[in-house]
Parts: sequence; structure tokens; C-alpha cells
Amino acid sequence: MKQRVDFRDQISKNKMKSYFLMVVIFFVILILGYVISMATDPGYFFVIMIFAIIFSISYLLVNFYHSDKIALKSVGAKEAKRIDYRDYHNLVEGLCIASGMPKPRLYVMESSMINAFASGRDPEHGVICVTKGALEKLERRELEGVLAHELGHIASYDMRYMTMVAVMVGMISIISQVFLRSLWFRGRGSSNDSSKAIFMIIGIALAIIAPIVVYFVQMSISRKREFTADASAVKFTRYPNGLIKALDKIGKANQSNEKKVNKALAPLFFSNPFKGAGRTHPPLEERINVLKRM
Amino acid sequence: MWEIIILAIVVIIGGMFFGYYNRFVTLSNRIDNSLSQIDVQLKRRADLIPNLINTVKGFAKHETAAIKAVTDARKALVGAKGVEKKVEADKKLESALKTIFAIAEGYPDLKANTNFLELQKELTSTEDKVAYSRQYYNDSILTYNLLCRTFPGVLFANIYSKKPRTYLEIAAEEKEVVKVDFN
Repeated sequence: MKQRVDFRDQISKNKMKSYFLMVVIFFVILILGYVISMATDPGYFFVIMIFAIIFSISYLLVNFYHSDKIALKSVGAKEAKRIDYRDYHNLVEGLCIASGMPKPRLYVMESSMINAFASGRDPEHGVICVTKGALEKLERRELEGVLAHELGHIASYDMRYMTMVAVMVGMISIISQVFLRSLWFRGRGSSNDSSKAIFMIIGIALAIIAPIVVYFVQMSISRKREFTADASAVKFTRYPNGLIKALDKIGKANQSNEKKVNKALAPLFFSNPFKGAGRTHPPLEERINVLKRM
Repeated sequence: MWEIIILAIVVIIGGMFFGYYNRFVTLSNRIDNSLSQIDVQLKRRADLIPNLINTVKGFAKHETAAIKAVTDARKALVGAKGVEKKVEADKKLESALKTIFAIAEGYPDLKANTNFLELQKELTSTEDKVAYSRQYYNDSILTYNLLCRTFPGVLFANIYSKKPRTYLEIAAEEKEVVKVDFN
């Protein structure tokens, strides 16, 4: 195995990055609030700021503690009982032994596509959800590879980090949208103040550029995580072929777009649930090639 | 100024003493834990055998040799002391089970029996778990040994008199068997 990524490093890096991101999100909201209030009416500065602070803190907290529930709910996942899904449970139990991790809660979602996702802020609150299609169409070893990949995400605290990134992207685009739209409703001519005009231009520029930049950063981060999770899957199973065959099957299955899945959840999935829309995952062939070298 | 630098150095070195001690303790605990995990899985495997034997007896009474081989192997596994011996015994049990499953192919009723199928599934997945627990045991030893052998861990290993541990050897052909079984 070449260039193996050490686990502990990955975990502490992810933890640090997610705390760092929380701080960044907080400040981004402050700055946006400041610029917007300066552009509109400095008198409202404190009102907007206080509102923005309360809003951002509660948003972060809710997402931090409930990301798994939100994700499960939004795809309509049901808990997988041991009696009905014995193989699924057995495979995950084996992988948990191999990785020394607590067993995550297991869910199933109604879909004929082959896909899976993981969530939860740390391994103790881990959640894995697979589609019915994956359970039916994948062989035991292939399914194991997919599950190991998801467990890899949980082990390296990817979910915490990715959720924070997703929250940041969402917030920034919401704020920018609100600001840009609010411009249409305000009369022109009323503001001749030059400092106001400057802030207005900064505000507009920020509102347009920020979401785009953040979006691309998110995509590249998300792609890197996939390779890491593939690597940890191999570390757990010592059997890259299972994962390779699963990826191959997904490529051949000609997956159609999943309408029920929110776009914001795309990075959480095993393979991209959307065709053409932003690449949150590296191409399947590339992942297979990397796996073959292990 | 000098006082601050000296104080900082003392704090850092003191912190390393604590940090490395805790790291050694955590890692040896992990090794012990994973060792008992192997035990747990082997025991569960042994517990499944009597049920399987009863089911097989119901359909294929005349295969006494194969049945006896499995019960003997199970007895050896239960009686074995130490992980190495237990793993050894488990290997014998695995090959005895293979004979039983091969024989079952000749008994359509047995092959279609849901109880038998369930047990077969459970046994294969416990075999999976045994393999994974051994793998995790060796992984834990690997991390521990790396800490013992690399700098600066090696200094602290000497101070706390921690010695590298030996791996649980797994025969290559056996590992292959585990992988092939499920396809």
C-alpha cells in the first residue's frame, strides 16, 4: 500500500478544521452583516448584528447536534432491524471489530439506486444508511466494501467537517440571496452618500463571489475525502476488490437522478446521486484506479 | 527571559512524560481489549455448533464421521488455552465445517432447511468476525510497536520498560479461505 494516510492524523486534522470552520462561519456572517448594514442603513447595524449572531450560533448548534437526524429525515430513511437485515448488521459488526469502532446505527432508504451515506458528529453517534438497491444488487463483499467506506468517513470525523462546510455554503448563499434580492425592493435615488455606495458595491461583489468560491472549495474538499474513505475501507477489509467491484457495478448500473435527495446532502453519499451537477465525488474510474494500486 | 525559556522546556518535557505514559497505557489496553474480542468471537462460533449438529443429524444421520469431526474440533476449541492454541483449534473446526457443508450439498432437504441456512450464514459471518478481530489485534500491536521503536517513543519505552509485543501469526492460505468463502 503506497502513500497510506495515517488515521490519527486525519482525525485530528478534521477535528481542528471543523472547529476552525465554525469560527470562519461565525466571522463570515459578522462581516456580511456589517457590510449589508452599512450598505442599507447604519442605524440598523446593531439590530442586524445581534440577529445575525443569534441566528448563526443557533444554526451551528442545531447542525452540530442534529446533522444525522436531519440527513436521515430528509431522505426518509427507516431503521434497519437486525431480524430483517441480518447480513447488513453482521457485515457492519465485522467491520467495527476490524476498525475498533463502536457500531453505528443502521438505516435503510427506499431507492433502487446503489448508494449509501454516513452521518453523525462522532463515531459514538455514527449513522450509516444504505439504499434498498444496494442491499439487493451488491454481492456480500461489494456491500462490505461500501459499508467500510462509509465507516471510514465516520472514523475520520469527515461528517462533522463536511456538515460544517455544507452549513457554511448554505448560509453564505442564503445571506447573499437575501441581500441581492432586497436590492430590487429598495428605491433608487434615495442614497447619494458615497460611503454607502462603496459598501453597496462591496456588498454586491461579496454576495456574488462568495457563494461561488465557497462552492468550489467545498467540491474539492469533498473529493479528497472520498479517496481517504476508500483508503480506510481497504485498511478495514484488506480487500480492495470488493470496493472496486461495487464501484464498477455502480458505473454500469446507469444511475438515474435521485429526486428525493437534497443537493446539499450530495457530498455525504457513496457515489454522487446527481448526474452533471457539481462534482462532489471523483470519477468512478479514477477511484477504481487508485484502489487497484493498493 | 531565561527563566521563561527553561520553564517552557521543563513544561514540555514533563508533558511528554505524561503524554507518552498515557499513550502506552491506552495502546496496551487496546491490545488487551482486541485480544478478548477474538475470544468472544471464537466462543460465539463454538456456541453455534451444537445447533448446527442437531440440524444436520436430523437430515443426515449416517454422516457420523463428519459430524464427529466437527464435535471433536469444537471440544478442542472450547478446551484450548491461550489465543494461539484457540486460533489453531478454530482452523481445524473451520475445515471440519467445510466438510459438513460439502456433504450438505448431497441432501436437498437439509440444504433447503431454513434453520440450516441461517446457521450457515451465522457461522460464516462469525468466521469473518474472528478474522477481523485478529486483524485488529495485530493492527493494535503494530501501532504499539511503532511507538516503542520510533524516536522519541523509544526513549520513553525504555524508561517505562515497555517492550514490543509479538504478532498473532496467521497462515497465508487460511486468510485466503476466509475471503473466498462468500462469493
